[in-house]
Amino acid sequence: MLALRFLTLLALAATAAEPPISLYLSVEDADQLVVGLGESNFRLYEDGRPVRFRLAEPENPILVTFLLEHSRSSWTYQSDIAAAIEAFLDAAPEGHWYSLVTFSHGSTVEVDFTRQKGELRAAYSALGAPMWQDIDTYDAVYDTLEKLEMLPGRRVLIFIGSGFDTLSARTLADVQKKIESVNVTIFAAGAGSSLRGIYEPYLGSTSRLNLIQAESFLNMLARKSGGQAWFPKFETAYRDIARAVFLTLQHQYRLVYESALPRDRKFHQIRVEAFRLSNDRRQDFKVRVREGWRR
Amino acid sequence: MQQRPIDKSGSRRNHAAGVRRPGWRAGTACALAFMLAWQPRPAAGWCAQSPAPPLSTEVFQAMQEALQQPYLDLFERADSLRFTPAQIEAMRKYLDRARDSCVRLYRQRAAGYQKERERTQAELKRRTASLEDPERRQIHCKIQNARILESQAQMLAEHAIPVAYENKKAKLELIEKWPEELKRIRAEIASGAYHQRRFGDVKDIGVRELVPGQERDVKDGQEAVRQLKMTGLLPPELDNAAIRKYVTDLAHKIGARSDLRVPLNVTVLNSKEINAFALPGGFLFVQRGLLEAVEDEAQLAGVIAHEIAHVTGRHGYKLMKRATIASIIYQAAQLAAVLLTGGAATLGTYYALQYGFYGLGLVLSLDLLGVSREFELEADQLGVQYAWNAGYDPSGFIRFFDRMATREGYVNGASWFRTHPPFYARMVQTRREMMFLPEKPGLIRDSDEFKRFKAELAKVTAQAQEEEKNKPSLLAPVQGCPAPEKIEYKPGQPIETICSPSGS
Repeated sequence: MLALRFLTLLALAATAAEPPISLYLSVEDADQLVVGLGESNFRLYEDGRPVRFRLAEPENPILVTFLLEHSRSSWTYQSDIAAAIEAFLDAAPEGHWYSLVTFSHGSTVEVDFTRQKGELRAAYSALGAPMWQDIDTYDAVYDTLEKLEMLPGRRVLIFIGSGFDTLSARTLADVQKKIESVNVTIFAAGAGSSLRGIYEPYLGSTSRLNLIQAESFLNMLARKSGGQAWFPKFETAYRDIARAVFLTLQHQYRLVYESALPRDRKFHQIRVEAFRLSNDRRQDFKVRVREGWRR
Repeated sequence: MQQRPIDKSGSRRNHAAGVRRPGWRAGTACALAFMLAWQPRPAAGWCAQSPAPPLSTEVFQAMQEALQQPYLDLFERADSLRFTPAQIEAMRKYLDRARDSCVRLYRQRAAGYQKERERTQAELKRRTASLEDPERRQIHCKIQNARILESQAQMLAEHAIPVAYENKKAKLELIEKWPEELKRIRAEIASGAYHQRRFGDVKDIGVRELVPGQERDVKDGQEAVRQLKMTGLLPPELDNAAIRKYVTDLAHKIGARSDLRVPLNVTVLNSKEINAFALPGGFLFVQRGLLEAVEDEAQLAGVIAHEIAHVTGRHGYKLMKRATIASIIYQAAQLAAVLLTGGAATLGTYYALQYGFYGLGLVLSLDLLGVSREFELEADQLGVQYAWNAGYDPSGFIRFFDRMATREGYVNGASWFRTHPPFYARMVQTRREMMFLPEKPGLIRDSDEFKRFKAELAKVTAQAQEEEKNKPSLLAPVQGCPAPEKIEYKPGQPIETICSPSGS
């Protein structure tokens, strides 16, 4: 009995010490971002139970990390990756923190957080030919999320790569669990437009399956974290994608709340409703928000 | 038998009570002590500490005291110091041994921390599946602390200690050679022969033709600035109009009284690196770290005059004849990608950056900056002339150099000592030139403007430090770990204490 009381006290103490959660989301209506909503336009549920929250100003500056595939195996779509990073660096607004991480066999922090985008450009242009053939995507995403987890504030990961994975030590399940437990929004720009476009009709079933698997992985990253994934068929589309990402970040909402979920290392779903009342009619919007938390 | 002194840099345990131990006994004691004291964590290894000096206590202490004097004081006092050539030679050998021993000590420590880190990493790998979060965090902290200490020990061994001892040896050389040199200088002044020295026509500064064609360098300078900006290598400009105005006015004042034939374009960069550099064609860059490090206006004037001298001497043009600006900047960008941005992705890089150890001064081509041993001596001479001609106390440059080498220099000023000529030659050359310059009353050492500028700078520095403190990092340590048990080096700590037991 005494032990039970002690454990309860411990649990209470742990709950009391927890900082509030910042939940970032974007609201869309027919692919258009909806801005200007107030606190009363949202409802938040954890495992189906309503939760009290407040609408707060999004944290600024944002910590943006570009995670870039840089492998000898990526030669067929290397131009996609180059076009994508160029587009993102052009579109990235001043004032935020940016970092660049590349991966093939293991990941490398090419540029630590800086406010000077030029450093990222310089580092990318100074990258030599890739040394490894591996594309350890799962490891790279996992490790980068682990590093970002340590940092305070609003964190965003922009993944630029195919989504293929060749020799990761981490499994897909490891990556999923990691995304569920860290508060990082992931946007993915799929590389391999030539494979998806011109050559798709000529691909064998294994290659097609690999492509589907890679796409599913990138979609999973976005879905689980409240971000978005794109698979352009033309290099020129990266400019629009980059603009869309930074526009979304600019218009994200931030709900701040104290979670009532137990720390049981299990996954708990969250749901956010966004709506507007006009003439007593409720107009519901699409909400892009993370699926839930693993605590 | 002569008694051994118990000096600041020597180990008390090596020569306790001033009694000389026979070599074999000291060696055995050292080995035994090492075996007894050896433990899995990196040991301090006292047997690697400074060797005992082969001089009497009085002489050794007198010499140590002299070597701690600023260069300017030594120039005045060297004549009165009575050391025999044998004593000086013995001290030189002692300094060499002390440097080697100190470097060895910190290499050993770095290796020890590396082993500790590898051991802990292996443990982490072995137990990773079974570790609970708190214990895992503890292990992460342990690895991190070992990395911090390893990188600090490496920096001391490879950069800080050699520079500090080089400076001491230069002062010893000064004690040895300056009295004779002084006689020669006085003789040259008495005979008027000093007018015949290179650039001896100081009364014609601004009118004389040093190296024709400065204006042809402007295009190269513009191209270099453009490339530097494009590659993102240039730190941002300092966003404070008062500071920019002060530095620009000072530089223009010196430039107007130099041999400059091109407009001087001054940029103040918001970076903590202690550095200033000039690109061909009159593009002068002064970094915030330098402005923080100078103690008076004459010191800043001395450094700026030195940089202007690289432009007037067309040193960059002479050195980079064979390379294009684009290729030079490309090389710098490649080097920067590794050094400045943590391309090696190590925590060591992170800490090196924290100290301001790596910077633009380390990656920019020396050819572009016009820096070579010969041209550096030339810039020293011309710089002293320009500072003097602008009405500043020309000793400012020597005082700042001394300060860099003895206190801030060995970590913060790595780029300063990149290829500079031997300290002795530079100091003597500068002093000679000062003595040859005609008397000028009312030379400025400090000013009210400088004090106001420093007060304004303090605000900017505080703001930058706050921003630096809050700067996020992917390479940064695990948050919330206790500080490492032992910090190997604190900026500003005198080198004498680094290798002694109390200093570490």
